[in-house]
Amino acid sequence: MKKIHILGIVVIAVAIGVIFTSLQSSATYSDFTEAGANPETEYHVVGKLNKTVPVQYDPKINADQCSFMMIDNKGIEKQVVLHKSVPQDIQKSEQIVLIGKMQGDVFEADEILMKCPSKYNDGKPQV
Amino acid sequence: MGTIGEHLWVGQLGNAFIVLSFIAALFSGIGYYFYSKEVLTSEWKKFANTAFSIHSLSILGIAGTLFFMLFNHYYEYAYVYQHSNNEMPMQYIMSCFWEGQEGSFLLWAFWNVVLGNILRKTIDAKWEAPTMAIFALVQVFIASMLLGIFIGDYKLGSNPFLLLREHSEYSKLPFLNIPDYLTKINGRGLNPLLMNYWMTIHPPTLFLGFSSTLVPFVFAIAGLWKRDFTTWQKPALTWTFFSIMILGTGILMGGAWAYEALSFGGFWAWDPVENSSLVPWLVMVGAGHVMIINKNKGGSLFMTHLMAIASFLLVLYSTFLTRSGILGNSSVHAFTDLGMQGQLVVYVLTFVFLCVVLLIHDKLIRVSYVMISLLMLFVGITFGYKINLLLTWLALSFIITIYSYVKFFPKEEEEESLYSREFWMFVGSLVFLLSSLVITYFTSIPVMNKLFHMEKAPIKIADYNLWMVPFTIVALILVAVTQYFKYKKTDPKQFIKHISLSGILAVVFGLSAVIPLYFLKDYSLAKSIDKWNLISYGLLFIAALFAVFCNLDYWIRVLKGKTRHAGSSIAHIGFALILLGALISTSKKQTISQNTSSKNVASLGENFNAQKSLVLSVGDTLPIGNYLVTYKGKERKGIDVFFNMDYFTKDANGKLVKAFELSPRLEDNPKMGISSHPDTKHFLSNDIYSHITYGVVSDTKEVKKDAYKEPTNFVGHMNDTIFADNAIIKIDSITTNLTEDEYSKNDSLLIVTAVLKATDINGKVYRATPKYILKQNMVMPDEFVLDELGLKFVFWKINPNEGSIEIQMAEKVSNAKDFVVLEAYMFPFINVLWLGCLVMVIGTIVAIIERRRLNKLKAQ
Repeated sequence: MKKIHILGIVVIAVAIGVIFTSLQSSATYSDFTEAGANPETEYHVVGKLNKTVPVQYDPKINADQCSFMMIDNKGIEKQVVLHKSVPQDIQKSEQIVLIGKMQGDVFEADEILMKCPSKYNDGKPQV
Repeated sequence: MGTIGEHLWVGQLGNAFIVLSFIAALFSGIGYYFYSKEVLTSEWKKFANTAFSIHSLSILGIAGTLFFMLFNHYYEYAYVYQHSNNEMPMQYIMSCFWEGQEGSFLLWAFWNVVLGNILRKTIDAKWEAPTMAIFALVQVFIASMLLGIFIGDYKLGSNPFLLLREHSEYSKLPFLNIPDYLTKINGRGLNPLLMNYWMTIHPPTLFLGFSSTLVPFVFAIAGLWKRDFTTWQKPALTWTFFSIMILGTGILMGGAWAYEALSFGGFWAWDPVENSSLVPWLVMVGAGHVMIINKNKGGSLFMTHLMAIASFLLVLYSTFLTRSGILGNSSVHAFTDLGMQGQLVVYVLTFVFLCVVLLIHDKLIRVSYVMISLLMLFVGITFGYKINLLLTWLALSFIITIYSYVKFFPKEEEEESLYSREFWMFVGSLVFLLSSLVITYFTSIPVMNKLFHMEKAPIKIADYNLWMVPFTIVALILVAVTQYFKYKKTDPKQFIKHISLSGILAVVFGLSAVIPLYFLKDYSLAKSIDKWNLISYGLLFIAALFAVFCNLDYWIRVLKGKTRHAGSSIAHIGFALILLGALISTSKKQTISQNTSSKNVASLGENFNAQKSLVLSVGDTLPIGNYLVTYKGKERKGIDVFFNMDYFTKDANGKLVKAFELSPRLEDNPKMGISSHPDTKHFLSNDIYSHITYGVVSDTKEVKKDAYKEPTNFVGHMNDTIFADNAIIKIDSITTNLTEDEYSKNDSLLIVTAVLKATDINGKVYRATPKYILKQNMVMPDEFVLDELGLKFVFWKINPNEGSIEIQMAEKVSNAKDFVVLEAYMFPFINVLWLGCLVMVIGTIVAIIERRRLNKLKAQ
């Protein structure tokens, strides 16, 4: 057996390792219902901010926490506690992706990604 | 409907250039193709070269026309309307040019033309035709991106000279109905987030980097085509290292931009857009090294072709990723879909197809492959099943590639020795290729979601780090030792002797740094996965030191300090320093803005302890890391609101001395909303980095400072706390003038006094004694005013069953001081990273100069 073959086997082994572990470990996009069924698992939940309910943020009490209502893509609305300061553009967001776990009836999120109408794209006409 | 004052001729001129550039590239490609067949040699050569010159001039013409339109504010054109306005400073006109997709494709085409002409003038006659034929083909594709014409229902490309009233999104704008609308409108302007000097230098450098990957690619394809696997490599080598240098610089500029101007809180976030420039660079570095093996010793032919080709294909693939809108949720700065998704896929697949076809040396197999591919394309277009067919085709192409490699490719007779330089350089290149594949795989998760109908979320930064650190450790060890191997065969004893000094130094210095950094405190506190991380950080640290020492040693002892020959050693030192700086500054990044003013943390849930932010009111002085910070106030300049902070240190006598100022800002951007920009103080050994995570940008000047706000009601027990803007108030005790018995006996006056202790920010305690007065079962309103703190209390209810009392509190408007929420980090030794960047670029330049000098010497 040549050394090059051993190298080839190592490369293939690493490749398979990467594919398997990433498929096993990485979270999936989901909704509140599924996240509620598996409170130990981290999920990425996609949805929209309920803009009729005010976003609660009181930095005097805790600057690293805010709370709001989000409606997921299945139409389920839940309270979200985000362990970060309130994103400045949250009222303008079109879509939100939250990363976190469901704790009882509250979704505890560590990360938030927002899609705002004109962020980094060419922008729709604002008439 | 007529319109007044439109400059239609400019767009027509621009469109003429676009069509001309497309057709000229096509003719030039055809010309070079026949020229390469060596039929009617001289005439085809002239034809092809002329066509390429016309193509080049047309690209310059398109760029010039676009500039002309931008300079003159011709808002009748959608691109000008979208990306510029009247107020724009001249230096940003350049940035407007490449802000949009069409402009950035044009920038790419421009650099290609520049490089293509240099290549054409400097290349050996033998390689001119085949390389330029491929080059022209690539230009046909890029020029098609600008066409913006409809073929049936399908739109090919996106045209920068589209009129506003022809644009699908803008054509409904109401002002377009006014004939002289041009006198009334202003452009929408450049995204102010991009109005900084990084935007003027980063994109051109990065796109030059993308363009530069094309040259090794065309050489490798030409090599496959002409079945000459070796002679192209020498001229291509300089180009490869040029590409490594430019692309590397472009990537690092991107990192510096993210760190200095955007609030990522770091210089690298494994964002798909960042990855898409890193991956081609990794592959290009691998390609450069296997080409060096080939030049010095021969062999590694398949890998040189594979990697030189892969780098450009990966540029195309990442263009597809970032331009097609497929990344959607997973990236903050992916472009939106301009409807070019299909076109970009076709573009990538065409070149994969071309490579595989050229790789097959058996005529029958080749014809079958072409036929099967075309058949599958036909079935896909007419009957659907596109995804299944695509996957089948990719698998087929992969199998054929492997088969062709085994069957047709020239291979080494002799196996490389374990003690040879070529073996370990090969392994190193393989590590680079493999790590680039892993990153590509991770970045491609949104594509796989689409292909396999999955719902996988993007890979997290921590997982990228977890996977990349081991690759990096291996790469660094190879960077350290490989040069001490000789080509073909090395004496093992000699080799050990050479590296032992650096090895000992690295272990001694490494351990003495790593143990206090990661193991004394952190290790015992860490959970299992973090324990592994700490071990890998320690190994990475030692490996990086090892690489630095080995290369220094090689430069000093083996090369006798001659800089001219030491390009690779210098570049390798730079590479190791970059990783060392990245490691220390990221793993020992300290959040110095712990929230010291937070009042009620325990009630917020047990799993909440990640205090990152500091709340600062105007005039407050709070500890932040080794400093004290005072928020002085904010000032608005244009759309920017600066939050000025003074940082103090204590001198020997304990007196506060001002150390520096930072003014992180919030950009109140009418187009994009509010965005935060950090401000960083650079020291030699660390950076103090800060950005605002929450602040009020509107200047609401309170007129009635003495007025009170709406009162708030508090229900409380003994010892409960009430938070006011400027004080913490405790219900200290409750006293009555009568006992319950006495009160029930006679109907007289009952007075219950709540004794409140209000502690202000400076720790001074005030007493407030609001009274609950009950006279003949009627509550008499009584207001207690605490003037010093601007607070008013009304004690108005007692709930005997709950044992609680209710107090209304009103605060003076002037009590609410302006405040901000600040996040601040200390990045230790981040300068090692920037120094490494500089050293690596210098090393690469030295190597390129030396290579050119040697090539010239040989030519004489």
